[in-house]
Amino acid sequence: MNDIAGASAPDALAQRVREETRRTLQRNIKGLDFLTVGRQTVGAMAYDTVHRDGTAALNHYRPLTDEIYRVPLLIVSPPSNRGYIFDLAKGQSFVEFMLERGYDVFNLDWNEPTRAEAGLGFEDYVDRFIHDSIARVQAITGEREVSLAGYCMGGALAVMYAALYPGEAVRNLIGFATPVDFSHMKLFRAWADKKHFDVDQLVDTLGLIPGNIMLGAFDLARPANRTAGQLQLWTNMWNDDYVRSYRMFDRWSAETLAVPGEYFRQQVKQLIWDNALVENRLEIGGRRVDLKAIDVPILNITAQHDHIVAYEAAQPLLTATSSIDCEDIVSKGGHVSVVAGPQAVKRLWPQVDTWLGRRSV
Amino acid sequence: MDRKPPAFDPTATWQDFVKRWEQEVNEWSGKLTETEQFGSIMGQATKVQILAQKSFNEHMEKVLRSLNLPTREQVDALGSRLADIEAQIEALRLALSAAAPTDTARPKPPRTRKPTA
Repeated sequence: MNDIAGASAPDALAQRVREETRRTLQRNIKGLDFLTVGRQTVGAMAYDTVHRDGTAALNHYRPLTDEIYRVPLLIVSPPSNRGYIFDLAKGQSFVEFMLERGYDVFNLDWNEPTRAEAGLGFEDYVDRFIHDSIARVQAITGEREVSLAGYCMGGALAVMYAALYPGEAVRNLIGFATPVDFSHMKLFRAWADKKHFDVDQLVDTLGLIPGNIMLGAFDLARPANRTAGQLQLWTNMWNDDYVRSYRMFDRWSAETLAVPGEYFRQQVKQLIWDNALVENRLEIGGRRVDLKAIDVPILNITAQHDHIVAYEAAQPLLTATSSIDCEDIVSKGGHVSVVAGPQAVKRLWPQVDTWLGRRSV
Repeated sequence: MDRKPPAFDPTATWQDFVKRWEQEVNEWSGKLTETEQFGSIMGQATKVQILAQKSFNEHMEKVLRSLNLPTREQVDALGSRLADIEAQIEALRLALSAAAPTDTARPKPPRTRKPTA
């Protein structure tokens, strides 16, 4: 406590010194624990894997309420990240939040691709993995309509799907920090500058693009984050909740997945260099991805301090589509804060629930 | 005006300092990444990294062959066969669970929920 009501200044100072001494001792004791414990466990909600296809795994979370909404929710994870970011721990889980509010939740998650999967591209992710997952969700739930959500590149793939399959399964579309206009992805445009970046050489040499290449780019954009994070961790080492949360995010970041080379090549050439998605020139499996074909309700969620996906990069989801039922939420925080973290639980996700509930009956 | 003196809190002062330092360094870096030179340096660095890795892999391959140990290619082939076996087991598991659902103890909740006003 910062202030002790009624205490004199010397008493308050003495109490503060005692408190700081206690925290310093705790830091040392818990700091030793921190160095010796294993990986932080993640994942709060029970689920069944209901479909597997190579790198793709469709998980169905077990409902928590006696009555659920008619329209199921399918969340597409970004291919470079583990899907447990949506379900880190009790009280910090988007999945838990939505289950408690009566949604039937599915997550299309990814495993590390094998070398044999280096040739997977947008066609596989959109026409195969998302398409087959939706078919499986329909078969399990008996419902034709599905609310499709995606985070970061998972969102971009969901947008591509919605544009390629209009009037079919997608009832609602939710983008969490979803890039559409890549001319505003400044960091990646600088990192993969067409004049200097030889994507063909990278892909042809490596096959799979390791996660640390992507992590390196993020670190370059925010070089102080890692050190500052460790300093803040040390300061808060006495606080078990803080340490647990730090370790969960740290594990998620360290477990950044490799992505198939072909997928990476398409991402760089067609999205970052050509900006083909927002300009309706992207072709998948010989069909043009026309954003104007999307006319379902859209919820576009961005973060105020997102240094990866700026508001301008996601905003065309509202303006370049034909949807008239569109809503825009700009939340406080950074890129990850839209899918995990205490602020999302208190402020953002209740808004998502309010928006989606009305459109899920 | 009767103003309260700021409370003695070295931790808060330290955290504030770290936060400001982080913001300043990141801002500086943000400006740097927008320059032409940054792209050029990153392009060169990636190229060097790939060439170094390629050369190391080739050298390692030779060493492994000379020691009569499996090369990466052979391990990859093995991994790929293992992945196929895993996929087939998973397909069997899913087919079995679809044929004989085990969740009879968990009745499916009705899909009749309406949002609260």
